[in-house]
Amino acid sequence: MADTQVLQNVLRDDQRLPRVPEPGVMVIFGASGDLTSRKLVPALYDLAAQRRLPLEFAVVGVSRTEMSHDEFRARLRKGLEEQRSGEVSDDVWESFAGGIFYMPGDSKKAETYDELKDFLKRLDGERGTQGNRAFYLSSSPSLFPAIVERLGEAGMNEGEEGGWSRLVVEKPFGRDLGSARELNSEIRRYFEEAQIYRIDHYLGKETVQNILALRFANGIFEPLWNQHYVDHVQITVAEDIGVGTRGAFYEEAGALRDIVQNHVMQVLCLTAMEPPVAFDAESVREEKVKVLKAVRAIPEDDVEGYAVRGQYERGWVWGEEVEGYREEGDVDPESTTETFVALKVFVDNWRWAGVPFYIRAGKRLPKKATEVAIQFHSSPHTPFAHDDTQGLEPNVLVVRVQPEEGLSLKIGAKVPGSGFEVSSVNMDLLYGTAFLEEAPDAYQRLLLDLFLGDPTLFIRADEAEGAWRILDPVMHHWSESRDVPFYAAGTWGPKEADALLERDGRVWRRP
Amino acid sequence: MIGESREAPGGGAMSVAQVERELGKLRTNEDGTLALRSSVLNLIVVTDEESAPEVTDSVSKLAGRYPARAIVFIADPDGERNVEVGLSAFCNIRGGGGAQVCAEQVTIHAEGPPATHLESFAGPLLIPDLPVFLWYPGEFSPRSPEFAAMAELADRVILDSAAAGNGEGCLREIAALLEDPATPAIGDLQWVGLSPWRSLLADTFGSPERAGELEKIERVEVLYAPGGENRALLLTGWLASTLGWKAEGASRDEETRRIEYSGPSGTIDVELSAGSPDARLRRIRLYSEGQSFQVSRHRELSDVRTTVMRGDELLAERTVHLGSFDLGVLVGEELGYRGHDEAYERALAAAVEILDL
Repeated sequence: MADTQVLQNVLRDDQRLPRVPEPGVMVIFGASGDLTSRKLVPALYDLAAQRRLPLEFAVVGVSRTEMSHDEFRARLRKGLEEQRSGEVSDDVWESFAGGIFYMPGDSKKAETYDELKDFLKRLDGERGTQGNRAFYLSSSPSLFPAIVERLGEAGMNEGEEGGWSRLVVEKPFGRDLGSARELNSEIRRYFEEAQIYRIDHYLGKETVQNILALRFANGIFEPLWNQHYVDHVQITVAEDIGVGTRGAFYEEAGALRDIVQNHVMQVLCLTAMEPPVAFDAESVREEKVKVLKAVRAIPEDDVEGYAVRGQYERGWVWGEEVEGYREEGDVDPESTTETFVALKVFVDNWRWAGVPFYIRAGKRLPKKATEVAIQFHSSPHTPFAHDDTQGLEPNVLVVRVQPEEGLSLKIGAKVPGSGFEVSSVNMDLLYGTAFLEEAPDAYQRLLLDLFLGDPTLFIRADEAEGAWRILDPVMHHWSESRDVPFYAAGTWGPKEADALLERDGRVWRRP
Repeated sequence: MIGESREAPGGGAMSVAQVERELGKLRTNEDGTLALRSSVLNLIVVTDEESAPEVTDSVSKLAGRYPARAIVFIADPDGERNVEVGLSAFCNIRGGGGAQVCAEQVTIHAEGPPATHLESFAGPLLIPDLPVFLWYPGEFSPRSPEFAAMAELADRVILDSAAAGNGEGCLREIAALLEDPATPAIGDLQWVGLSPWRSLLADTFGSPERAGELEKIERVEVLYAPGGENRALLLTGWLASTLGWKAEGASRDEETRRIEYSGPSGTIDVELSAGSPDARLRRIRLYSEGQSFQVSRHRELSDVRTTVMRGDELLAERTVHLGSFDLGVLVGEELGYRGHDEAYERALAAAVEILDL
């Protein structure tokens, strides 16, 4: 191979043709788990069927369960059918499945890695995967350090014969600042930061990326996007569902770790960050980290002044009476785990000095909604007769991420008739009505980026740590108290959350 | 997505203001609320009576993906002087919010002298500040003053070099048109239909060793069906212009066209055969000294199989979806692209070179 001249594939050098990654193999640890059959393999299948994967591509599943290659393939096919009923082509599946393999093994044992290394080398020869490997950690987080260590010891932290090696880490990235640092330093004993892809599928969503498009592709919003014009910002990530079958997981996590540390902090960063120089990994992530660094530490002796937690009780959601959190399966009947979080944070920099960001996230709220609402200052003086402007409220620009992605701007307009009555009108744009193209699934987007070697939409170590740093005092304070306010399922959280804003003379908006 | 077609009664000749007013009325829902208008572009279509139903159907399908104000001309310059305007809107509801969104279509039947000045209708009806696409689904006369006046309004002209009987002549005319720097960007539906084929061919040379084989290509075979000749020519033109081949000579008999190229490492023989009973493109095979690279379409399904062989040994194989070649899909691809398509322009020049040999 040494004397083979490596040439560029000029046929691909065309801006109208999609970018296709180099040959490679994805190794999934914890491959018998749900994520592999529900998300990863369907996303890879779709990419393959749509001609977005290279011809030389393979998937190797590793987990303890004893299975043959064919049993593994059959299991994945079943999972795929469930996700894409009636849309799976036999020929395309057969062709894709020919590149799927399974290796039973204990991911804590060194022998597993010797065997894996040999197997991957064989694949390089048989399927032309070129020594390029992406290792996907989809196992229990407690196994992450062991897997990384064994990979490193087996020399698989580097690609084979000039190929590359990348490591994908699923959230949670630790349980708090200390454990996140520990995990990061364990991983970095063997892998360079540039090789590590921490995945938060939230960032793969088109709708989340659209926050950046709105801010930085439009000249008219950015001049207003600062403390001169903005009174405050409200970020809402609401779910109407309960914990369902994830009781055991949720007992360990709670809303702060499950949603706030990752999804909500990402939305905060995208909303508050400075314009990056370029849309590349380092420029974008650098700006996000600056936001996290600028967030004022929540004082340990006044956590209640900045953070509220809550837990849902029995209540009504969309015409149905639903159980309280403590009645859900695998949940301690005296649990103090929070299912709702409200926070007030300040981003202490030139742009945002003095502007509060109110954040709330929770389960069993009245509806599923993710949005960022920028409330502007009221007009400094109204020239209209005082009584007629009663209905006039400050302008609010709402960036809706879900359910219906779009933008709305509340503006004051004259009510037709004599006199000068002014009333608020919503100007609404649904992005979906302008671009009806099916948005790719978040995992599809991120897996493609992984193989193309673009980590822009993945989390850097200091981002994960920065988010934990903000939340650490809150977690610490809550862990010492068993006093959790309750809210009825189907309402917008406990009254303490309302009080958090009322103290500042503000109210939560209704998404 | 729930869709609903709404049409305005009346017709006949209308003023610009009347058209705008009536379109506004079409967006009014039964309960008096006004549906939104979402537009990302203007689409002008010039067609004839016969093709109008198919074209209108494609336009309404496109409204889902690229909501536009569509201005469809059904023109007959030889008829008796007459103008009739028809208005319709395609409104749909998306998501749980129930907001209605409408894409508008103005259909203008123009006969006699007005049919030679369609730009005088199109100009005033365009939505400001949005790009203008001009689509000729059928025959077009690039040299006519009518075409030039319409093209002047457009940011991009979408043509189908195989729509008229004389495909070769069409390629020549487009190439000549592109020589004029004033011509807007041009898209050719025959070229758009090649995109998946080009991408799949590029994939077969994705690994570094195989990329090296590109320099050693000795023979190319393209199998197509009657009607697919322009695709075969453009595909050959693309390979030649991308790989730096120089045309040396050509010959043809009833079904087969043979072209001889000189390339970086010797002669390349290309054979284009119209021997496929169906599918405009059926198969393409490239041979290097020791390997062959094939992309071939499944007979019944829209799946396509790629193989790389060394002699009888199968080195790599894959089956994927080829994608849809529906008229609306092809035009949609063009609407998503802005600016000159340099790869197309180079491939076209190389294809015309074959014709000139």
